[in-house]
This record gives sequence, structure tokens and C-alpha cells, in this order.
Amino acid sequence: MEKVYEIYIKTTPEVLWEAITNPEIRAKYNFGAGMYGDWTPGAKQEMRSANADFTLGTSEVLEVDPPRRLVQTLEANFSAEAAAEGSSRITWEVEPVGDSCRLTVIHDRMRDGANDQLYGGWPMILSGLKTWLESGELLTTPGSLMYT
Amino acid sequence: MGDGDDLVFKALADPTRRSLLDELFREDGQTLSALEARLPMTRFGVMKHLKQLEEAGLVVSRRRGREKLHFLNPVPIRLIHDRWVSKYTQAWAAGLVELKHELEEE
Repeated sequence: MEKVYEIYIKTTPEVLWEAITNPEIRAKYNFGAGMYGDWTPGAKQEMRSANADFTLGTSEVLEVDPPRRLVQTLEANFSAEAAAEGSSRITWEVEPVGDSCRLTVIHDRMRDGANDQLYGGWPMILSGLKTWLESGELLTTPGSLMYT
Repeated sequence: MGDGDDLVFKALADPTRRSLLDELFREDGQTLSALEARLPMTRFGVMKHLKQLEEAGLVVSRRRGREKLHFLNPVPIRLIHDRWVSKYTQAWAAGLVELKHELEEE
């Protein structure tokens, strides 16, 4: 199963890339969690939050082409339902369009009928990323506070 | 984002387009032919509505070899939620807290 999410953000590819790969920034809009580890193909990463006493997921970096393309696996552990889904793949594509960037997130290699806890957070994450980059503010809608 | 919001509201204002989104929610990543077969619409009708949904960002299409697949993109709806709905629910929640304080003081 494959899911595709697209959002336009008024920023540069370089700033957007930093917001995706820097775990301290990532935590601001990603349910409080960042990806910790090297951004080189083959590197293993951990998804961690300062407010969770367990690892929220692990990942292997597959492709890194700053500031345009990032591919990595995700073995989610943020809920029992997501963990039961095993490994999936996440691709970030950044395309400059005028004074903005089109960001596409493709979450694929999921089981048909996969539990939506695995991918259902993307709209909230991307909305939070846009808010952070365009206004410097944090989204404070209740669902975005999980693990923070 | 004002123009973008207009496109989203206009796209969602039509029951046929909402049924297309529902169909993609049921099974994401469908071709034009698959959507045409599932909905009581001509190929031209499906194309026309898909185009409007794509312009609003509610549908994203990706090429897969010879096929073009259409995906439901719920992000614009989330943006409207975060821009508008959460603001009103916050005020509503604040109002309840105030009511609670007033009642407790009596």
C-alpha cells in the first residue's frame, strides 16, 4: 500500500531540508519526535522524543540527495498497532516552485489495509512543518501534542 | 493561502467530487479507468472533476510506469482544520473553563 502527501511551503529547499533532518527542529512538528543518526546511506537511525522513555522507531537511511530527496525505512514503535506493521519506506521529495517548495512525502511498502496509525499522522506533521517554517510558531492543536 | 483555501472549499462543495474523494479513501492510488468503472460518470466527467481536485491539492497524481495513479491528499483539509477549526474549538474550550470558574465561585 502506498500513500502520497503533498504540501507547498514558502521557504527554500535548504531550509526545508534542515527542518526535516535536524532532530531538534523535527521534534517541533513531528509529535515531539526526531530522527537521530547520520544522514548517509546505510546509516541506522532512532526516532526518539525527550518525553518518551522508549525508542519510537528505527530506520535505515537508503538515499540522501540534499536538498532534494531523502529515502529511508521506518520500523515504527510509537504504538503497538504501528509496530505490528513492520518495516515500511518513506520518501521525501523537495521541488522548488517560485518562492516556495513543493514537498511530497511518499509512504509506501505498507501492507494492504495497514493500520492507519502508521501513516495517519502525516497531514498533521506536514501542517505543523509549514506553520513552523512560515511563522516560527508551533501548532498547538490537541492531537499534535502527543509525546511532547 | 487564501486562494488555496477557496479552491479547496469549491472543490469540496460538489457531491460528485466528494464521492471521488470517498472512492480514493476506500482505495488509494487508482487509475482514471478504475475510477471511471467504479463511479456512475463518464470518463470526461471523472477527468474534469479530478482536474479540479488536483488544482485544489486534494488529489495528487503520480506516474507508475505506463499508469497514472491518483492519491487522496488530505493535507489541505488538515491545513483548514489547523487554520480555522482548532481556533474555534480553543475559544470554546476557553469558554468552558471560564464557565467552570464562574460556577465554582458561586
